[in-house]
Amino acid sequence: MAAYALRRLLSMLPVVGIVALFVFMLLHLAPGDPAAIIAGDNATPENIAQIRQRLGLDEPIWKQFLVWAASLAQGDLGRSMFWNESVATLIGQRAEPTIALACSTLVVAVAIALALGIVAAAKAGTGIDRLVMGIAVVGFSVPVFVTGYLLIFVFAIGLKWLPVQGYAPIADGVIPWLRHLVLPSAALGLAYVALIARITRATMLDVLAEDYMRTARAKGVAPVPMLLRHALKNAAVPIVTVIGIGVALLIGGVVITETVFNIPGIGRLVVDAISRRDYPIIQGVIILFSGVYVLLNLLVDLSYALFDPRIRY
Amino acid sequence: MIKFTRRTGLQGSLAAAALLAAPAIARGQARPSAARTVRAVMHGDIPTYDPIWTTANMTAYHGGMVYDTLFGIDANQQPQPQMVSRYGVSDDKLTYTFELRDGLRWHDGTAVTTADIVPSLKRWAARDGGGQHMMLRVKDIAAKDERTFSIALKEPYGLVLDVLAKTNSPLCFMMRKKEAETDPMQKIDQVVGSGPFILNLAETKPGTQYVYDRNPSYVPRSEPVSGISGGKVVKLDRVVIVNMPDAQTAVAALQAGEIDFYEVPPADFLGQLQSDPNIKIEVLNALGNVGQVRLNFLHPPFDNVKARQAMLYLVNQSDAMKATFGDSKYARTVSSYFGMGTPMENDANTDWFKGGRNVEKAKQLFKEAGYDGRPVVLMQATNIAVMSNTSQVLAQELRQAGINVKLEAMDWSNVVQRRSNKAAPDQGGWNIFITWSSGSAIGNPILLAAHAATGDKAWFGWPSDAKHEQLRDKWATAPSLDARKAVARELQQNAWDFVPQLYYGQWVQPAAMRKNIRGVIPVPEIIPWWNAEKV
Repeated sequence: MAAYALRRLLSMLPVVGIVALFVFMLLHLAPGDPAAIIAGDNATPENIAQIRQRLGLDEPIWKQFLVWAASLAQGDLGRSMFWNESVATLIGQRAEPTIALACSTLVVAVAIALALGIVAAAKAGTGIDRLVMGIAVVGFSVPVFVTGYLLIFVFAIGLKWLPVQGYAPIADGVIPWLRHLVLPSAALGLAYVALIARITRATMLDVLAEDYMRTARAKGVAPVPMLLRHALKNAAVPIVTVIGIGVALLIGGVVITETVFNIPGIGRLVVDAISRRDYPIIQGVIILFSGVYVLLNLLVDLSYALFDPRIRY
Repeated sequence: MIKFTRRTGLQGSLAAAALLAAPAIARGQARPSAARTVRAVMHGDIPTYDPIWTTANMTAYHGGMVYDTLFGIDANQQPQPQMVSRYGVSDDKLTYTFELRDGLRWHDGTAVTTADIVPSLKRWAARDGGGQHMMLRVKDIAAKDERTFSIALKEPYGLVLDVLAKTNSPLCFMMRKKEAETDPMQKIDQVVGSGPFILNLAETKPGTQYVYDRNPSYVPRSEPVSGISGGKVVKLDRVVIVNMPDAQTAVAALQAGEIDFYEVPPADFLGQLQSDPNIKIEVLNALGNVGQVRLNFLHPPFDNVKARQAMLYLVNQSDAMKATFGDSKYARTVSSYFGMGTPMENDANTDWFKGGRNVEKAKQLFKEAGYDGRPVVLMQATNIAVMSNTSQVLAQELRQAGINVKLEAMDWSNVVQRRSNKAAPDQGGWNIFITWSSGSAIGNPILLAAHAATGDKAWFGWPSDAKHEQLRDKWATAPSLDARKAVARELQQNAWDFVPQLYYGQWVQPAAMRKNIRGVIPVPEIIPWWNAEKV
């Protein structure tokens, strides 16, 4: 397995390299000039040209790419054009809220989705099944920002149970930290719950129809151990795959959720950077997200061996 | 073996609670109380800390907290001394002499001297349109001693105090010698001012929140506050500027009491906010903003004055304002080239306005201009509501006049880049874009770069008119307010003939705040937090 993991890790390098090339080219070919934005409304063309020169934006695009790629190869993501701060530092400052939001969403959503999917499969064709699947359809169809605003309206403005927006670092105390995570996690997690619950139900139904499950029932295995110990373990591989794929959904959702709930995370950082055409930040964050995504997929692949002993690396 | 009893359980619970609460308690002790802290959401993020280097209004807000100015305009738009105690002008009107007042100190504790002031003036003048206009007439700026300096002119110039006191960005902020000697094209790297607030870098998170603490060493003037002049008495311990880009979230946060002030609630939310007993709505900038339609003088059809005049008859300002503000009491139409409510407002040459919209006349003028049906590129900034909506309205009006309009959707960043392109519209250039400027800037023919009609050197659209430039100079050297008003009439008479730009309306932006916020000073262009309090 170690050799396989190492091979996969090495294969990340060309993937990240291609992502870097595409991101750089797309950004630099897209319209929008950071120097004009930095210079402000009353700037003369000479002012803008001076800023372009200082930022190196007047160099040929291939040269700009090589300079950036050389820095990237040394682990340097560059410096923000606006803040003159290293991109790594800016990402580091914003990492905690994003990691907290993503992890809380992932843990809660997976727990709820598995429960709902298993119940829907066990009660297939009943009202409970239809209710769960109805919730899943709604959850998957309603955009994150609509769910977010509804949750704010009900739980923050109406009931005043939870804060509207913001993020409390865990260093400020666990309770304020959790209070600030509840609504954004719920808003972001709903679509994720829907996705995983549906795949859990479908896979569980397939497994429950297998001969060995009929044998287990005939041997008198109780329903709950049968569902959790026998069916769920055999249904795990597709579910884990969807959880991994869903991380991309989660990353996209984090960007929107952080804006709706005013969470100072990496998603907000990249949205602000896009509006300012702060190329180094956009490039750095996308490289980071792509690396995380590839890494998570590797972990998902490696986890297959835990659920299915037939799979060996 | 440990025996678990109710007492040990209770002790354990209390210990856990203390552990959970400890970080918050520890931090709470270091922070000013919420009762003396204001959390405010403004119209955007602070893009940089150097208020001379950029014209961004958010940076001017930051500058207003941290830095001080030599003069400041009062509530009547008249310049009054701020860092200056005594000042005077020689009989020949060629030398201004200024003396710094007592008690001025930088945030690092050192005294403010003329060694700081002279380079500060020079750096600001290198970046500011008004400063550049003044410097054309300046022979020398020199320190006489640590407290006294002078500005020697080549010819009399009536706007010296006005440009030093103005509130449109970049304001004439004073900096330490070290920062003031930075190349005007480079940003300063340290934020050390002498103003009433100190930027708390430890708690500031760029892009998220900016924390300003009261400057305990600041010595305010003794006069009552008026505009940005008078005593800057700070009644708060801390002001936190929160960057919250989503309007819906900001409104909800204000209603929930998580923020105290929201500068730009969209018109859609005003009803909701007005019905909240804990919220009040105030207009802080009575002159508001004036919407500008910039026409490209370099390419057909607007290289022809008839086509530009046609636009005056074609644009329905009421429709443009309704598209964004509804039937709002906060928006109005504009006939004066200097905006409505400004000291220079007048009614010279406004028959096009009094006669109302006239599509047939516009068609006739476009025909006389030789319009040949070529596409007219209108850049639509879709991410800014008033610009996007006005572009849609204007495109339809152009179609009504038989113009082949090509509405090109893009974000404002793209507009900012493309508007500098002087190429033909079918080669990456443009014909029309929508923007706005503050009413106070529109009311001043010198301070606003968009008022220049210097052709290639002018602002985007590159209007050119020698008479306009002569009149701007005449206005700048006019000896009195009445004389300036007379020149303003002449300027307007000429402007509505050659049409350097036109307007699509004027609006004020009401701010929403919790009812316990008092004393926010109504000033154009910046929001000062001295004098404000939380009761």
